[in-house]
Amino acid sequence: MLHSKSTLRTLPVRAIIGAVAGAAQRWSDPNFPARVRAARAIGERTGYSEPVIDYALDRLFGPMTAAAIAGAITSELGSLDVLDGFVNEQGARRTARGLDRIVIVSSRTTLGVAIVPAIFALCAKSSIIVKDRSDALAGSFFATLIAERAEFEGAASARVWDGGHDEPETSLLARADAVVAFGSDQTLAAIRARLCAGARFIGYGDRLSAGYIAREALANESNIRAVARAAANDLVLYDTEGCLSLHMIFVEAGGAIDPRCFASIFADAVQAAALEFPRGRVNAGAQLALAAVRDRAAFAAANGAAAVHAPQDLSWLITVDCSRRWPPPLLPRACIVLPVREPGEALAYLQAHRLPLEGLALEPRDARPDVLSFTLESGAAQVRAAGALQGPAIHIRHGGRPRIAEFVRWIDAVTEEHQG
Amino acid sequence: MNGAREAQVLDRAILEWIAAWAKSAAQTEDEFNALALRIFSYQLRHNVPYAKFAAARGYGPSRLPAAWREIPAAPSSAFKDVTLTTFDPARAALRFQTSGTTSGATGTHYMENAQLYEAALLACFDRYMLHEPAPARYLMLVPDPSERANSSLGHMLGHVAGERARDVRWYLHAEGLDVEGALADLAAAARERIPVCIATTAFALMHLLEACAQRGVRLQLAPGSRVMETGGFKGRSRVVERETLYHQTCAALGLPLRAIVAEYGMTELTSQYYDSFASRDRELRVKAGPSWLRAYAVDLHGKPCEAGTIGRLVHVDLANRSSLIAVATDDLGYVVTSPHPDERFVLLGRPSDAPLRGCSLDAEALEARASF
Repeated sequence: MLHSKSTLRTLPVRAIIGAVAGAAQRWSDPNFPARVRAARAIGERTGYSEPVIDYALDRLFGPMTAAAIAGAITSELGSLDVLDGFVNEQGARRTARGLDRIVIVSSRTTLGVAIVPAIFALCAKSSIIVKDRSDALAGSFFATLIAERAEFEGAASARVWDGGHDEPETSLLARADAVVAFGSDQTLAAIRARLCAGARFIGYGDRLSAGYIAREALANESNIRAVARAAANDLVLYDTEGCLSLHMIFVEAGGAIDPRCFASIFADAVQAAALEFPRGRVNAGAQLALAAVRDRAAFAAANGAAAVHAPQDLSWLITVDCSRRWPPPLLPRACIVLPVREPGEALAYLQAHRLPLEGLALEPRDARPDVLSFTLESGAAQVRAAGALQGPAIHIRHGGRPRIAEFVRWIDAVTEEHQG
Repeated sequence: MNGAREAQVLDRAILEWIAAWAKSAAQTEDEFNALALRIFSYQLRHNVPYAKFAAARGYGPSRLPAAWREIPAAPSSAFKDVTLTTFDPARAALRFQTSGTTSGATGTHYMENAQLYEAALLACFDRYMLHEPAPARYLMLVPDPSERANSSLGHMLGHVAGERARDVRWYLHAEGLDVEGALADLAAAARERIPVCIATTAFALMHLLEACAQRGVRLQLAPGSRVMETGGFKGRSRVVERETLYHQTCAALGLPLRAIVAEYGMTELTSQYYDSFASRDRELRVKAGPSWLRAYAVDLHGKPCEAGTIGRLVHVDLANRSSLIAVATDDLGYVVTSPHPDERFVLLGRPSDAPLRGCSLDAEALEARASF
């Protein structure tokens, strides 16, 4: 049920934030019964291994503290108070009123990605409905929220339904004031076409992430081993199927450690990371596609233009393409290492393959000006250190979009004095 | 023997093999094996990138495999990365461009001797497409070779038309598919009871059928009419669509199901497979091929699979004398055991049944973006 008037309207935003943070804290406990049940269901749905699911839930709920949520809202809206009523601001009185009805469609996305926009929409006091996955993670979390404060019952709901043109999706989308959707370009276009003219559409298309390792980070082996270990986690988590998974790494030539050597160190690190985070279920088609990528690299390697690292069972695959002609493999636990002389070559690769970046793992963090310029040109919404891609903080603007600003409309009450 | 002389000797042997098959002469496995290993040995000495790949797998001129299935199969994608020839490609008699995938990266298959290509093509086309009564009118819904010289499909059917057709018409031009022209000519052939051979890509056929449906056209083509469909619906998710496509074709054109034959070829091969005669009444088609073209499926480690086990398809094509004798594809399939000696495998297509679980872009979407 998508209520036209949220039961949260009368609740102070701080109380909402407190309830959300309280529920998140309970979900941060690996033994919280609802989390245990959800983790099992997620495992059945996705086939991800238990450590990967635990990691994902920790990273989802751990940062969801009252301070972090309040900080994200304040940074976008100026204060929390604007969500509770008119405030004086630069001589004017204004308030940010949440939209009435928000639909969140979390199709084909990784774990719990709908929950973050959901909590910000609730903080805006909107009434929301989430298209949940079969693991019912969002619905289970909302149940905890309702246990925290009964007012959430009339504001937050989650349901599982098939996408397409059937009910209830059609009427929900047609009545929504805003729709948040995750999915392919095709999915987003189809959803957008079904909204009413004035509705806001907040689409998160499928994206990729890359690494860029400048030569300054390749000065010594101990440093680069640490970078490789961190990057390996970015690769193995979610079996490289998330938009913040590491799909490709640009490695500059000219450092003490060359790109091929880095790839070898990286392969060792991936092997070790795979022990901590075992690979999940992979179907036969993906395995054979991995073999095809490996064989192309093996042919090029025999001719000196590439290198390939993979275990017998192909549970991961690192290829090095010196020609930079191959696209990233986009297969479970597969990553391409691309030697470059300077950032312009990395940018040319991204443009040639029309790769939309979500995250860019950058090493070192105090990079040269031309590397920093590349980070701006790359299109990435998030620039982070290696190893930090998969732990998005609550205040990070996913997809380059604000967390809450798109869920509110501003109302300005202009005084006569200022009409001047 | 120098390289050029050796190439001539090999080409003569391959042409004789093709001619013998066309006459249904007896050919033994040992003879095939011997010729395959001679060609491989020749390629080891004259195709440097392939020789390096083979060396990495432990083979060289002084260490040849014992059997043709052990010949190292290079991935078809290698054509996009290096020039794979046993001769100076500037002297190529034929050159065909592989289809571009992401970022438009393409490769070229250079052939030194057009005779090999033409003999292989006609022998197979005659056997699998021109069984009696053979039509004399050809309606081509494939690229016009006069407009796209590097299209292997256009060239293939241009050559067939030149050798076998008395009347040929082309409908797929740079500006698009001439549906009106094709429909008018089909209607005329039906009215005049002239059997036709329609050569078409799956997508062009789909457009033709849509036009038939929009106009309410239902034809009854003359007996002996047939459709050669090629180059489409390789993904498993599209198999249902192919079945639908075939049934719609039968209904719109008044043809029996067995009159629709799927050809399976790739730019990286010189020779082609066709649906076997025995499977043409069935929805599960089995690919048949000539005796100089063999296929097997391999597992993750490149080891041959047993019959019935799905793997990536590898083709050994003796007519690829001047490029690569053994080509590993990205297509999935399984080898069949059959009382019909020319039945080779069931094609399942690309592993497109592997959608990613997360919000990462997948390969199919990347390809779509790249081609936009």
